[in-house]
Amino acid sequence: MVVYRRGNRRPIIILLIITSIALITLDVREAGPITGSKSIARDALSPVASVADRVFSPVGDWVGGITRAGSLRSENERLRRDLEEAQGSEAKVDVLESQLAELSALLDIPFVEDSDAIAARVVSGAPGNFEWTVRIDKGKSSGVGEDMAVVTGAGLVGKVVDVTQDSATVRLITDPDSGVDVVTADYPGPDGEPTRSTGFAKGRTGSDLLRLTGVGPDARVEEGMEIYTSGRTTSLFPARIPVGRVVEVEKRSPEQEILLEPIVNLDSLEYVKVVPAAGSAPLP
Amino acid sequence: MTWNTRLRLFLLVVSTVVLQTTLFPDLRFFGVAPDLGLVATIAVAYRVGPQRGALYGFANGLALDLFLQTPFGLSALSFAVVGYGVGIVQAGMSQEPRFAAPLLSGLGGLVGGAVFVAVAALAGEDQVLATRTLWVLPLAAAYDALLGFVLFPVGRWATRGAEAPAARGARSL
Repeated sequence: MVVYRRGNRRPIIILLIITSIALITLDVREAGPITGSKSIARDALSPVASVADRVFSPVGDWVGGITRAGSLRSENERLRRDLEEAQGSEAKVDVLESQLAELSALLDIPFVEDSDAIAARVVSGAPGNFEWTVRIDKGKSSGVGEDMAVVTGAGLVGKVVDVTQDSATVRLITDPDSGVDVVTADYPGPDGEPTRSTGFAKGRTGSDLLRLTGVGPDARVEEGMEIYTSGRTTSLFPARIPVGRVVEVEKRSPEQEILLEPIVNLDSLEYVKVVPAAGSAPLP
Repeated sequence: MTWNTRLRLFLLVVSTVVLQTTLFPDLRFFGVAPDLGLVATIAVAYRVGPQRGALYGFANGLALDLFLQTPFGLSALSFAVVGYGVGIVQAGMSQEPRFAAPLLSGLGGLVGGAVFVAVAALAGEDQVLATRTLWVLPLAAAYDALLGFVLFPVGRWATRGAEAPAARGARSL
């Protein structure tokens, strides 16, 4: 074959470049059997990856512990403070819970439950430097499917983008390819009635913050305000999952420039819940 | 190339992909992961020359692409180009420089990363077009340079009996 002949080196690299470009084009256009092939290959390698996860997980934890010692210490202090605050507000929660139960019964709102949610462990982060994903240890065999929302007790983590039999890849909300339909918390409108604004929270290139778009100049969005999933029919995510907290607002026209910090600490995910599409989110 | 060599190269591909997807996401420094498959490509290409180096890089890149969210074929392209380039460089060497492993791994890592980013940008992957990329690429290349110390001996083992004539003739200083 001419491509292997000594002294005639160029054809093989040209052939490989053309093949690569053809594959990239097919994948970008979502044409051809590439997605299916990826899934089959991942399934084939899944047992090896599971064993490797079990073997390497302590090593990764150990190194992670060393490199994050400083932040772990401050996180510990913060958690201790949070615990004290939580203990103080326990009584308040009891009252609120009973009020919520009464109101739910009164309004006939289906109670938000997490019994359908699938608990999963985060086994690894993104293998590359240009994607913001995590891999979880539950897949098709546990009922996980593409486009399902992934949450923690604190809020929204992302959505499932790839599933194999025993694992799934979750695209984090900070990935520039991510986008979430959101609503703000209630605020008093011009007539004094509680109102809220809708928008779209999107990951930003090269940043851990989200950009909130589609919020008009009259909306009263303030720093510290919490933003939730809207649960619109066009949205993949169930309603009222906390997404982020406003950290920067710049009044502009026709829309405000708003940045959000994710509610969930996406750098130290350990356990998450996958919310089936037909189900509902756990109560935030 | 014997079947034994092919088997060793296959094992090298599988090992680098498994390590890249399971261990190295947790072994980031300043948030940056190395490119194990790229360093393995450089180590192999350095022994087997441009054509086989490019083929190995293509295979290793394709295997890794199965686990990435970036377009399929992107790593294959950058690994193949780097494998080919390293093979050409090796063919021109009469003696092996003292720090061939970290030097080639670092430089190859930088070139491979740049090719990856350039083609990703052309393919519409806007996330690579950020100031973050300016420090991710050199950091990843530095990490790759360190891994070169480990992967060059592994590459030598995997390609035993399939070395290009120039690699067979090269001697350490």
